[in-house]
Amino acid sequence: MPSDRALGAVLLLVSIGYMGAAALISEPEGQYAVIGPRLFPLVIGAGWFVCSLWIAIEAKEVVPLSVIDWRVVSASALAFLVYVAVLERVGYLVATTVFVAVESRLLGSRSWGRDVIVSIGIAVSVYVVFRLLLGVRLPEGILG
Amino acid sequence: MGLSAQLGDHLSIGFSSALEPLNLLFGMIGVTVGTAIGVLPGIGPALAISMLLPLTFGMDPVGAFILFGGIYYGAMYGGSTTSILVKMPGEASSVVTALDGFAMTRQGRAGAALATAALGSFVAGTFATLMLMLLAPVLVELALEFGPAEYFALMVFALISLGGLSGGSRAKGALATVIGLALGTVGIDVQTGQPRFTFGVPGLLGGINVVVATVGMFAVGEVFWFAATRQVVGGRPAPIAGGVRLTREEWRRSVPAWLRGTVIGFFTGVLPGAGATVASFLSYAAERRLAREPAAFGEGAIEGVAGPEAANNASAGGSLVPLLALGVPGSGTTAVMLAAFQMYGLQPGPLLFSQGSNLVWSLIASLYVSNVLLLVLNLPLIRVWVRLLHVPRPLLFAAVLTFATLGVYTLNNNIFDVAVAYGLGLVAFFMRRHNVPLAPTILAIVLGPLLEQEFRRAMSISGGDPTVFLTRPVSAVILGLVVVVVLWPVVRRLMVGPRRL
Repeated sequence: MPSDRALGAVLLLVSIGYMGAAALISEPEGQYAVIGPRLFPLVIGAGWFVCSLWIAIEAKEVVPLSVIDWRVVSASALAFLVYVAVLERVGYLVATTVFVAVESRLLGSRSWGRDVIVSIGIAVSVYVVFRLLLGVRLPEGILG
Repeated sequence: MGLSAQLGDHLSIGFSSALEPLNLLFGMIGVTVGTAIGVLPGIGPALAISMLLPLTFGMDPVGAFILFGGIYYGAMYGGSTTSILVKMPGEASSVVTALDGFAMTRQGRAGAALATAALGSFVAGTFATLMLMLLAPVLVELALEFGPAEYFALMVFALISLGGLSGGSRAKGALATVIGLALGTVGIDVQTGQPRFTFGVPGLLGGINVVVATVGMFAVGEVFWFAATRQVVGGRPAPIAGGVRLTREEWRRSVPAWLRGTVIGFFTGVLPGAGATVASFLSYAAERRLAREPAAFGEGAIEGVAGPEAANNASAGGSLVPLLALGVPGSGTTAVMLAAFQMYGLQPGPLLFSQGSNLVWSLIASLYVSNVLLLVLNLPLIRVWVRLLHVPRPLLFAAVLTFATLGVYTLNNNIFDVAVAYGLGLVAFFMRRHNVPLAPTILAIVLGPLLEQEFRRAMSISGGDPTVFLTRPVSAVILGLVVVVVLWPVVRRLMVGPRRL
C-alpha cells in the first residue's frame, strides 16, 4: 500500500535541493535594499522542509487507487511530448488534428471514424475562429 | 447624501457601458461559457478564465472583464445542474447540493430542484452584487491608509486561510501553498534584477506565468487524471419530468433559505480562503439546524438545495470585494482574475477605484446584467445543458487539451511555455494522487511575489526594523488573526474540551 511516507521523503530531498539553489543566489552588494533576493527563497525552502517532514510523519494512506493505469498516463505524456516537439515544425492545424485523434483513442474512445471527424472539426474551427477571425498567431508549419 | 449620489453616477455610467451591444454580447458569451464549464466536471472558472486570457489581449479590458465576470457567475450557477440530475457535482461548491437535489430527482421532483437552484442563484447573485457595490467603496476608504506592512499581513492571511481550509490535511494545504510560493520565486527578482532558479534557461527569466500554471495544473492535470482512472462518475441523466417551476409551498420554503444562503455566502466569500465550497456547506448546516424536521434532510428537503445554491453564488460576489477593493485575492479564481488585471497593466485596489473607475463600475453593472441573462437564457435551456454530459469524455478531454495548449502558446508565442504547462500538469497529477489541493498553489504563485515585495518594501521603510509589522495596529491585528487560524485546532480543543468532535 503506497502511503504518503514516500512522498514526504521525496519532497524532503527536493526541498534540500531548493534550499541549496537558494543559498547560491548572490546578494548584490552596495544596494541599500535591506532585504536581498536570497532571504525569501531560504524561508520558503525551510517551510517546504518542515511540510515534507510533517507529511512523512503523518503518513496518511493514499486513497487505494489500484485502478491507476500507468500505461495510459505514460502514453499520454509521450503524446504530449511529441505534440510539443512537432507543433511549430508541422503547424497547429495538422499537429492538432492528429493529436486529438490519437489522444482520444488513448483515453478510451473506440470509434476511429467519429474521432477523426471530430478532431478535424476542432482543429479547423479553432483555426478559423482564432487565426482568421481574431488574428491570433498560431504555429503555421508546413501549411504556412 | 453625497456618497449615494456618487454611487448613482457611477452606476449609471457602469450600466450604460455594460449595456452597449458589444459588451452585452461578451456578457452573454461569458454566462454561456460559464454555465457550460459549470456543468462539466473537472473544468472550473479559474481554468476557463486562464485559457481565454491570452486570447482576449486584443480586446478592450472592459469587455474582457465583463466576459470573465459572466464566466464566474455562470460557473457557480451551472455546477448545480449535474449535482441534482446525476449526483455528479460540476464544481466542488455544488457537492452538498447533490444530497437533497438528487434525492428530489429520484422522487420525480427534479424540475423543482432545478428551479429553486436557478432562482436562488439569481436572488443571491443580485443581492451579493448589491452588497459588493456598497461594501467595496467602504473598504477602499480604509485601504487608503494601508502601507506595505498591512498588505503583507493581508496576503499572509489569505494564504494561510486558503491553505488551512482546503482539503482534509493541514500539512497538505501547507505543502500546496509552499509549492506555489517556490514556483513564484522563479525568474528575475524585481527589486535587484537578480535571476533566481532560472538555471540559465532564458524562458524562465520572466517567471512562471499564472496562465501557464493554471492551465497546466487544472487542464493538463485533469487529462492525466482521466488517463489514469478513466472514471466517469454518475450515470446518464434521466429526462426531467414536468416543468422547471415551483409550487406555492416550495416558494414559501425556498425564499427564506435563499436569503439566509445569500448572507452566509457573501460574508464567507469576503473572507479569504473560505470561498464557495465552505459557504455551501455552512448554509446546508444552517438550514438543517433551523428546519422543523431535520430528518428530512438528505431525503429531498428543498431547503437543502435552495440554501447552498444561493450561498455559492453569493460567495462569488463576496470574493470580488477583497479583489477589487484591496487587490488581494482569496481563491484560485480571483487569483487568476488578479493576474488578468496585471496583464492589462491594471492594479486592483484603491487606485483602480479612482483611476479606472469606469472599468470597475462597468464590471459591477455587468454582474447584475449577467444574473438576469443567466436566468433568462438558462432556465428554459436546462435540457440543452444536460446534453453536454453525453459528449464522450475522451473527445472532451482531448479538446480541452488543445484549447489549453492554444492558450498557453499564444501567451508569448513560445513553445517553452507549453512544455512548462505539461510538466506542471504531471506535478498536479501526483498532487492529486496524494490528496494535495491545487487552489492554494495557484493563489501562492500569484501572491508570493507580491508578498515578498511588500515585505521588503516595509522593511526598507522601517530601516530594517521587523517590529514594523507589530507596531502598526492594522497589520498587528491581521497577523494576530493569522496566529489564531494557525493555532485553530489547538484553540478549538481548549474551548470544546478533548472530546472528539
